[in-house]
Amino acid sequence: MIPASGQGEPEIEALRVDRYLESILVARERGTALTLHDAGLAADLRSTAERLTSELTRIHPSFRFEERLAGRLAELAAALRLPAAVGGEASPPPPIGFDAEDRFDPAHPVVDEGDPSSFRARPLLIGGALTSAAVSLAGVVFVAWRLSRPVHPMVRAIRAAHARADHEGGLA
Amino acid sequence: MARPVFRRVKAEEERRLVHLDRDRSLVEAALRDPAAFDALYRKYLAQVYSYAYYELGNHHDAEDAAERTFLLALGALDRFEERARPVDGDGASTFRVWLFRIARNVVANIRRGRRRQPVAPIEAAAGMAGSTDVERQVSERHEAGAAWAAVARLPAERRRALVLRFVEEMSTAEIAGILGRSEGAVRVLIHRGLRAVARDLGGRRW
Repeated sequence: MIPASGQGEPEIEALRVDRYLESILVARERGTALTLHDAGLAADLRSTAERLTSELTRIHPSFRFEERLAGRLAELAAALRLPAAVGGEASPPPPIGFDAEDRFDPAHPVVDEGDPSSFRARPLLIGGALTSAAVSLAGVVFVAWRLSRPVHPMVRAIRAAHARADHEGGLA
Repeated sequence: MARPVFRRVKAEEERRLVHLDRDRSLVEAALRDPAAFDALYRKYLAQVYSYAYYELGNHHDAEDAAERTFLLALGALDRFEERARPVDGDGASTFRVWLFRIARNVVANIRRGRRRQPVAPIEAAAGMAGSTDVERQVSERHEAGAAWAAVARLPAERRRALVLRFVEEMSTAEIAGILGRSEGAVRVLIHRGLRAVARDLGGRRW
């Protein structure tokens, strides 16, 4: 049976589970006993939810690691403050431990295993941009090199001879 | 004319947003002075670390992921946009969602690195392997091996949704923001995951 809202039975049950989990978390946060008893929710789902709530606990890092990373962050913070202090735009130095790809847009969704909705647009985009930038850069460098390189005296003499010959031919 | 109406609605929404994001003051302080990022770091380190640990299965990789996540977050903090909506509730933190999106990407990068440089069998045998290590340690600490093992057997997105819900105690809206899915899709992921775990645990002795 489809309810008037257009939601099917699985969605309704998913909503019930969501409401139940929310109530577990609220009860836990307040330190009170769970008061919500949704008769429509299967008993095995209720007991599994309660079991996961109590047994899947947060795992804490070591104090040593926490302080070491705090130190690294303080170093990065100081480096970020320096350019801003002299009036420039604060741009962070690349911290050791991650590559340029990481810094592209850290919160941008990337391809992940087991996630069929993700796609490979970002590497392609980066690859394309890098390729096109590299080609442009190579062109600029080549032209600059051609214009600035020292000309061999022999080449200069040949060019002068050609120019003279052309000039004389033109007069004749 | 529609335009002034939209402007009024937007302005009203912006006024309401002022009270919503619980990390707003900390983020603003960190934007003014990067050293103040330490407060956000202390607040979320255990959450990010725990998420990485459940995803990657060992302390070494979890530390690596947490370190990269916070360094990236501090470096890119000026790109963070607060996006709390009234429906997200009073306790919403879009900073936490943003941070976990970074963590998720970092974890994916570490996984890709692992695939490119597979661990030698001798190292794997010494305890570098994935979810079984989490199972063992969680089991040792909390005698919850069976529960975690059932969660670990789920497809990645269902497992991730359950970890964010039960370990990190996130709302459906926050999980949707992190996984890049609709809230309805997240509810279904959690429901299916929970049902599979219930079936799994029901078929075994607790």
